[in-house]
Amino acid sequence: MDLIWDGVTEALRLIFSGDSYVYEVTFTSLLVSGSATLIALVLGLSIASFLAFRAPPGRTLALSAFNAGMALPPVAVGLLVSIMLWRSGPLGQLHLLYSRTAIVIAQAVIATPVVAALSTAALQGLNPNLRLQVLALGASRWQAALLLFREARISLLAAAMAGFGAAISEVGATIMVGGNIKGSTRTLTSAIVLEVGQGDFETAIALSFILLTVILVLITLFTVLQQRRPPA
Amino acid sequence: MARRTAALGLVVASLALVASSCGGADNNLILGATTSIQDTGLLDEIVRAFEGVTDYHVKPSVGGSGEVLAKARRGELDVIMTHSPAEEDKFIADGEGLDKRPVMQNFFLIAGPEGDPAGVRGAGNMSEAFKRIAGAEETFVTRGDQSGTHIRELSIWAEAGITPQGQSWYRESSTGQGQNLIVASDKDAYTLVDSSTFTVFEKKVGLRALLTDGAKPNVYSVIRVASDRHQNVNAAGAIAFAEFITSPAGQCVIADFGTQVYGKSLFQPVARCPSANVGG
Repeated sequence: MDLIWDGVTEALRLIFSGDSYVYEVTFTSLLVSGSATLIALVLGLSIASFLAFRAPPGRTLALSAFNAGMALPPVAVGLLVSIMLWRSGPLGQLHLLYSRTAIVIAQAVIATPVVAALSTAALQGLNPNLRLQVLALGASRWQAALLLFREARISLLAAAMAGFGAAISEVGATIMVGGNIKGSTRTLTSAIVLEVGQGDFETAIALSFILLTVILVLITLFTVLQQRRPPA
Repeated sequence: MARRTAALGLVVASLALVASSCGGADNNLILGATTSIQDTGLLDEIVRAFEGVTDYHVKPSVGGSGEVLAKARRGELDVIMTHSPAEEDKFIADGEGLDKRPVMQNFFLIAGPEGDPAGVRGAGNMSEAFKRIAGAEETFVTRGDQSGTHIRELSIWAEAGITPQGQSWYRESSTGQGQNLIVASDKDAYTLVDSSTFTVFEKKVGLRALLTDGAKPNVYSVIRVASDRHQNVNAAGAIAFAEFITSPAGQCVIADFGTQVYGKSLFQPVARCPSANVGG
């Protein structure tokens, strides 16, 4: 227990002393997980709109796949993305392995099914006549989609938060495709794994608290946004 | 529409920002290194020093010697630092690697509980100590991951004429060198570990160094991956790294490492570092 208390004290010291290493790995975490979440949102919302509004044949099958995808094992994603990015792999010529971009790809693969599955459920929960009405009133497809997104905003932001949570807390795939390189691909989570490997539990706990704080602050912002009254 | 375009723009911009942080392909050097090099903290130091004197960006790929050699055989690495002599020699004999040069060394030791119920302290050599652990059926934790340490451990069991696999006292941790010590400590068990990792973890685990294998040092070597086999290997970068790590500058990074925190070098460079006072 002393260790946890020491870790919290150390976390506060690191935050307020402006420790450059901690700020650097925090920045990397936010950059890669933020990018991965944005990609997951664009892909996930597109998939969800297609499945919910167009109701294509085989929708239940596709939905099952995305629902199952929420439990996609990150370590398997890491391995598959690694093999794709290996020099001998199909995307080897891009030289992306052990880069931040590689982590963005892996985290986006993990977060996209989460966003897609939850957003589809959110959009399917809307009154199906709403879309028809809006279209009948002369809205374009894009305008209709935006209006329905706004209508389902609370559930969609929940999906975005779940996607971001999956990305920023991920570590198995992050280390596998990123390589845990100091100053480049070392994120908060991979730094924690490294400190544990080096037996420096105090720093590991301190970094864990910083990660939790970052998540808490961001999710609170999201939640405030979510709970705001819709613009008139 | 505008909002969608803006979102797409954001994605492209963030990807560009991410991509811009990576150097060109020719500047990248993928270094395969073992967990003991990372768990002691030496890896970050070597990378920092090498990047300070060259234009290469080092991308470390860390695993046990077995994993590193397997990746090297696929041409996924440019240069490797491992400590598994027999496997390294086979790697070179197969034409997959070349120019093996010793870089540094430490010693293997048996770590175990203070009370030493199997009596390892009094054993004359490593295989004798292993016989005592097996005879007393005291728990022994093995890496079990084809790492250099695991391979050495298996050779000691073979020397002792004992097959530990399947015995109730023989437990597999399947973790890196540092974590393995923590698992062994938690179980009050015996384990084989290199002296550098043990020094770093000594105060954090409840185990004692009971018997050191002074006869056969644990030698880490640098090997370049054969570029005639794998066309994408960065041969020039590999040569630059091998030259650096065996040069006085590289040897001094190793000699200096650990002297501030532990009062001694964690790894002994094979060549003397002219400026440093190399301790134990």
